[in-house]
Amino acid sequence: MKSKAWALLAVTVVLASAGAALDRMVQPVWSAARARQPTLRLESATAGLGQGVTLALLGGFRALVADLAWLRMYVLWERRDLPACDSLIRLVGTLDPRPLDFWLNGARIIAFDFPVWRIEAEGGYERVPGSVQERINREQALAALRHLDDAMRFHPRTPDLWVERAGIELNRLQDLSAAAESYRRAWAEPGAPYFAARLHAELLRRVGRRAEALAFLIQLHPALPPDDEGAAAPRVLERIQELERELGVTAERAYRPALAAPGRP
Amino acid sequence: MPDFNASCLRIFFIAQNTAREAARQKLFSFVLILAFALVLGARWFRDFNFGAPELKFLADCGFGAMAFFGSALTIVATAQLFFSEIESRTALTLLAKPVYRGEFILGKFLGVLAVIGVFCGVLTLLLVAVLWRREGELMAEFPEAFRSGRSVDLGTVVIAGGLQWLKLAVLAAFTLLVASFAQTQLFAIITGFLVLVICHLQYLAQDAYARSGTWLGRMGGAALAAVFPNFQLFALADSLAPADGPAWGDVMRVVLYAGGYVVVGCALAVFSFRQREI
Repeated sequence: MKSKAWALLAVTVVLASAGAALDRMVQPVWSAARARQPTLRLESATAGLGQGVTLALLGGFRALVADLAWLRMYVLWERRDLPACDSLIRLVGTLDPRPLDFWLNGARIIAFDFPVWRIEAEGGYERVPGSVQERINREQALAALRHLDDAMRFHPRTPDLWVERAGIELNRLQDLSAAAESYRRAWAEPGAPYFAARLHAELLRRVGRRAEALAFLIQLHPALPPDDEGAAAPRVLERIQELERELGVTAERAYRPALAAPGRP
Repeated sequence: MPDFNASCLRIFFIAQNTAREAARQKLFSFVLILAFALVLGARWFRDFNFGAPELKFLADCGFGAMAFFGSALTIVATAQLFFSEIESRTALTLLAKPVYRGEFILGKFLGVLAVIGVFCGVLTLLLVAVLWRREGELMAEFPEAFRSGRSVDLGTVVIAGGLQWLKLAVLAAFTLLVASFAQTQLFAIITGFLVLVICHLQYLAQDAYARSGTWLGRMGGAALAAVFPNFQLFALADSLAPADGPAWGDVMRVVLYAGGYVVVGCALAVFSFRQREI
């Protein structure tokens, strides 16, 4: 019995020594892998799915379990179960951070649906004071922005996340400057929609930074393909002319579109 | 000192016999058919897919099947093939001949390694075929989405399959180590599954201990991380996009990591088995 215990101890010590050396060898690989993947936090969120999550972590069915968690979240969304929905939205992002749709829809639910549920739970729009409603809207908008910050760790060059961020800053926080900046960041990413550039300029104009808006649109316009409806080049030209009038730009200094071949700046 | 060539030959025969026995077992066929069905049937699970691109979803299902059923096969087959020799007393006959205990353990390990190699190889090939075919269909259906060519790097799929095999090899070595001192097959199987769980989640425990801030906690976390290999490392080839393939340097480090644990695990199993009374 005593010799068996000694043998077991010897096995553990040898294993630990060898493991420590091997662990050092793969440390750079592990650090890089952790930077790419979410830190799998199992504290509170796992309670919602129990063994399914364990199965996903052990067996590798991450996509499938994330999908099932999302399905479950929708069921709870219909019941307006805010804490459970919140947990599941975070859990899905943790389990499988690769699909963009989970992040975008999750942020929308946090920013736009949760405040409505919270206000209704506190007595409804008629009874809850405006200041409380504003506080709730702000809290949820900030939570959604934090959710999008997490998403950007996994999708750093995705314009959709910046567009979503701008939408929340604009519609929930009424922070026009922040929204303008987010639309600018969206436009700077490859594959950005043209409306991001137009909205950036429009928001600059609304906050009184008209000269900046004009300079941006003058730089943008030659790059817009004239035959693409989405690019809306004639609309951008109209807006340039409006801004020039508002800023009192003389006819000599006014922008004249060149007939050069368009290309993205 | 045993003759090296003769020793290798004896190990080969034991491994061959082990692999043959494993292939004859219903468990192997059952697990292989289940995993096969899951990989082939993943296409019909698409209705439950809300986020991941379809090809990524198919690949995840395939690797999930490989990891889940492969782990079950590795643990059960290793314990069963080891204890069947002891319970049927064939180990006594075998070890009475000029066969060393170390050769017996290595033969058993290599036999199991071959079986899980076939399992992972077949499933990887099947997954490659499924992904290739489905990607071709999608390319025909949505040519504009594939303007820059194929989106799945099949080489990465093969690397991921190889890493799964290495993970199962480490698991087999640890199960064999447990079996070398365990008194019953059931104990070895249950402990094998516990090892699997710990190896997948050890980094979380390490984090939790580190966060506790105590000297004892940090030591405990470090010890846990040293004794049990980190199985999350074997999911290195997570993305299938050609641009996101794993670096060869990283793959080699993980291969050496697995190899190190296999060598140490098998050596300790030999040490432990030599102390054992059969």
